[in-house]
Parts: sequence; structure tokens; C-alpha cells
Amino acid sequence: MKLNPMELYNLLPKTNCRLCEAKTCMAFATKLALGDVSPDECPPLLEEGFQEKLEKIREMVAPLQSAAETGVKLDESKCTGCGNCVVVCPVDVAAEPPTSEGKAAMGTATVFRVENGISKIINLEKCRRFPPDRLNCRVCEQYCCTDAIEIW
Amino acid sequence: MKDLVCNGCSLLCDDVSAEIDGAEVKSLGLCRLGHAHLSESLKTLTASAVIRDGGKEDTVSIEEAVKQAGEALQSAKQPLLYGWTTTSNECIQEGLVLAEHLGGVFDSPVSQGTIQAMSHDIHSGKLDIDLEYVRNNGEFIIYWGTDPTESLHRHPSRFAVLPRGEKIPEGIESRTIGVVDVRETETMKMANHRLIISIGGDSELIEVLTSEVSGKSSITGPVQGIPAQELLSIVRKLQTSDCTVIFYGRGILNSNNADENLTAIAGLIGAIRESGKEAYALPMFPESNAMGVVNIAGNKLKQDLTSLQKLLAGEFDTTLVVGDDALAILPGPAAKALAQTNLIYIGRPGTFTDKKAMISIYSPDVITGIPNTMTRLDNQPFNFSAWTRDDVSEGMLGILSKLNGFVKK
Ligand code: SF4
Repeated sequence: MKLNPMELYNLLPKTNCRLCEAKTCMAFATKLALGDVSPDECPPLLEEGFQEKLEKIREMVAPLQSAAETGVKLDESKCTGCGNCVVVCPVDVAAEPPTSEGKAAMGTATVFRVENGISKIINLEKCRRFPPDRLNCRVCEQYCCTDAIEIW
Repeated sequence: MKDLVCNGCSLLCDDVSAEIDGAEVKSLGLCRLGHAHLSESLKTLTASAVIRDGGKEDTVSIEEAVKQAGEALQSAKQPLLYGWTTTSNECIQEGLVLAEHLGGVFDSPVSQGTIQAMSHDIHSGKLDIDLEYVRNNGEFIIYWGTDPTESLHRHPSRFAVLPRGEKIPEGIESRTIGVVDVRETETMKMANHRLIISIGGDSELIEVLTSEVSGKSSITGPVQGIPAQELLSIVRKLQTSDCTVIFYGRGILNSNNADENLTAIAGLIGAIRESGKEAYALPMFPESNAMGVVNIAGNKLKQDLTSLQKLLAGEFDTTLVVGDDALAILPGPAAKALAQTNLIYIGRPGTFTDKKAMISIYSPDVITGIPNTMTRLDNQPFNFSAWTRDDVSEGMLGILSKLNGFVKK
């Protein structure tokens, strides 16, 4: 299940009031799409006149509240091999530190590695969404510009 | 796996490796574009040549092709030597010498915007910082009129958006990203600020931001359809970031307002600097050695930027195209005019220009291990060295030297 931040943004007050932790409504929408915040953390949304939009957002983000059942899928036909997933994945950074500085993954210990021009998931079991961590991490999906990575 | 440098685009990635496994190539770290370029290039490890006449195509020796090409160029009233953006620095140098010997005109696609940008006051011929500096310091990154996801795939992951650096300890968490374009782009997915403006609206928006950064309260309502709140939040970020970098691309250069746009960006950079923060503008030219052409042939090219007009006016009877697929990249009428000249081509097989040429000489690409130099997008030189096998035959430089030798005789 994947949410489009633009769709969520269009339901927000769009005032950039700065009453939430995110700096802008767009940033809040992005966090919403990732399941990092709840719509109730937007104070103006709780005010009168926004009930309908609030309900709609709650409906949209409900499936994100649990990461118990999860999977990561990489559509190779959409991948450009940009390496964003390699560099942004916290597991990769720990497994092969040069990736944190933007270098290509060369070893076999990372979650992602770009092979023959396309990113491959070479160690899915290391993904933090799986036990023991079970974290609601979605950074690879968030920074995959071509939507090749999908988490559900 | 052997280390190599990729020249699939102007990022010249040097953290990649590859090996040849039978008929296949395996690579690590190369993006889709780079891997495709490498696979294609490895099909030509030996130079070869064909001559076409009235629908007939004959394979000939390099010597014969060089002789016929040399004669055609020598007997031309006015030859044009065009391309060079995908060739090595050594080839560009050799091309200038050849143009001199022939009394021909040396030109390149960089004459359409790139040269103008590098000569503009915004750079005055040089860049203030390199991409490593951006990785280590760039806090507010703005892609303006450029979509790296499309043409410079690894730019965000290697340098500008995601990697950690000295003053960027948390990578993307330590940076703010803005993208300005006339349409929704894939790069916008990573951005905190996504600004879609109308075609030609760039300088108006930049000037409003500049004015606000300078302390004049000029934002009172939406500009280019962007709400005032959003603009003010960008201005705050420009004022508070220790280092802002604006990457500008074709959207800024390929308009009738290129000069005005660059002047506006230079004004914004100046205003940010006056407020005591660092700010820089860097170009996004995707052609693999556009910077090499600018450095080596820039002064020559600046002297006469009218060769496309001359081409349209039929002033060139013979053209030597080197490296670029000129027929694919030139605007329609110019491509048509070029196809009507006696066309000689040096480069990889299978391009539009190759198919139309009366003489085609196929040379191994630098990526296959020709020990030449190219210049990265940020003006850093990179050396290529042998990695495939020792018997990669002479590259483009050898062929150009032979052509020069023939013409000199
Ligand atoms: S980003 Fe450019 S230089 Fe780097 S691997 Fe891709 S094509 Fe090659």
C-alpha cells in the first residue's frame, strides 16, 4: 500500500502554520505518507470545518499504523540504478560505511546493491521492517524517485 | 571485478567496477545508463570502418577510411568539425589542431547554452566549488530546471541529496531539498519544496526571492502560483542555511531568457552571500565531456557562435562529426542541413549520424580502457586506464592523429 504525499497535501490546511513538528504542510504530508505521524498531530485539522478532510486522511493512513505484515518489492523495470536506496538505507550504511558517503555498494552485506545497472535486494531479511526490529521504516520507498520500490 | 571510470554521463563515476564474462558484462554500482553504455561500448574493442556509396556499403581498412576522409576534408570549400562532447580531452585537442590544418570551423553542441553559461558572470569561466564540497557542506540544495532522475541518475545519491558529509552528519536529514520546474518531475519526490511554475517564469520568481532575502518585503501574495507562505519558508531557509547550492539545468538555459535567468540566479547568490551565508550555482550539463570541450575549446568557440546559422545557410559542404550523434541532437532544420553535407563520422556504430555518413570510422570508447582524460561536470579531471584487455585497439585519438598526419602531408 502506497500513499501519494501530494494527495494527502491537498487535504491539509496548506497554511504552513508551523504548529506541527514538520516545517511545512508538504513535509507533514510526506511524513503522513510514511506513517511517521498521525493526522491528529496537525492542530488546524482538528478545528471546525476540517472534519471531512480529517476523516478522509485517517482512512487513507490507517493501513500504515501497523508494520507487522510487510514486504518490500523492487520493480526492476522502473529502476534506474540511481543508488538512492543503497545510500539512504540505514542497514546498508552500517554494513558498508562508504555507502553513507554516496559510494556504490561493493560487498555482499547490504540490503540493496546496484548490479548491472539495476538495484537488487540482496539481503531482504536484514531490512529493519522484519524481526527483530519490526520498525516502520520506509526510507528506501520514500527516496525511490521512479517508484520502483514498494512497501506494503 | 576491475575498477573503472564510467563516462555514461558527466558524473564520471569512479566508484564502480565491472568484468567481462563471456559475451556478457557484469557491473557493480553503474546506473542503468552507465551499464547500457558500457555494454554497448564493449561491442567495439577494435576500430573498423565502412564507406557508403549510393546505398552500397563496403568495409575498408582504417588507413583507407582515413585517406578518403582526409581527401574529402581537404577538398571541401568549408568543412565543419562538429561534436566532441563525448570524446576525451586529448581528442578535443587533436580536433582543434585538425580544424586549424584544414582551415575549418570547430563547433560543438556546447555552443548552444553551455558556453554562454560558463562565460556568464555567474561563473566567469570557472566553478567556485566541486561536487565533493557539495556533499560535505550543501545544506539547502535546489534543482532548478533540471531533473537528475532523468539524465544524471547518481547525482542525488553521490553528491547532493542523500550522502553524509563533514557538515552533513545525517545525510538527507541534514539537508533541505527544493525542486523548481515547469512540470512535476520525479526528483520532486525527494523535495521538501516542490515548485511548479509557468514556462519563462523563472527570473520573476528568482528576483522576488532575491528581494526578500535582501530584506525588502516584496512577497505579499502568490508568485507564479506559489503561495506566499511557501515562498517565505524558502526565503527563511535561504537566509539560515550555512551553504545553499543551486543546480541549474536546461530549463534555465534552453529558453530565450537564458541570460536573464543566469543574471537572476547570480543576483540571488549575491544576496545570500551578503547576508553572511555561503551560496553557489553549479551547472547540470549531462554530456559526458561537455566541461572538457568548454575548457579546451571554449575560447575558440566563443569567437564565433554562428556556425549553426552557417550550416542552415548551406555554407558547409563537408562535415566531420566526432563522438556525438549530431543528427539526433541538433534541432530539425539544422540536422537536415547537416545530412545534406558530405558526412564523415567517427564514433560508435548504429547512430543516426553513422547511418547517414558516407564514411564511418568506429573507434573503441574511452570507457573500454583507452588511457585518456575527461572532465567531470564540476571541472575535475579523471583519468581512464586499461581494464578490459591489453589488446583494445587504438581509440579515437589514434584515428584523429592519423587524420591529422594525412592532412598535414
Ligand atoms: S551516473 Fe553517469 S557516470 Fe555514473 S554510472 Fe550512471 S551514467 Fe555512469
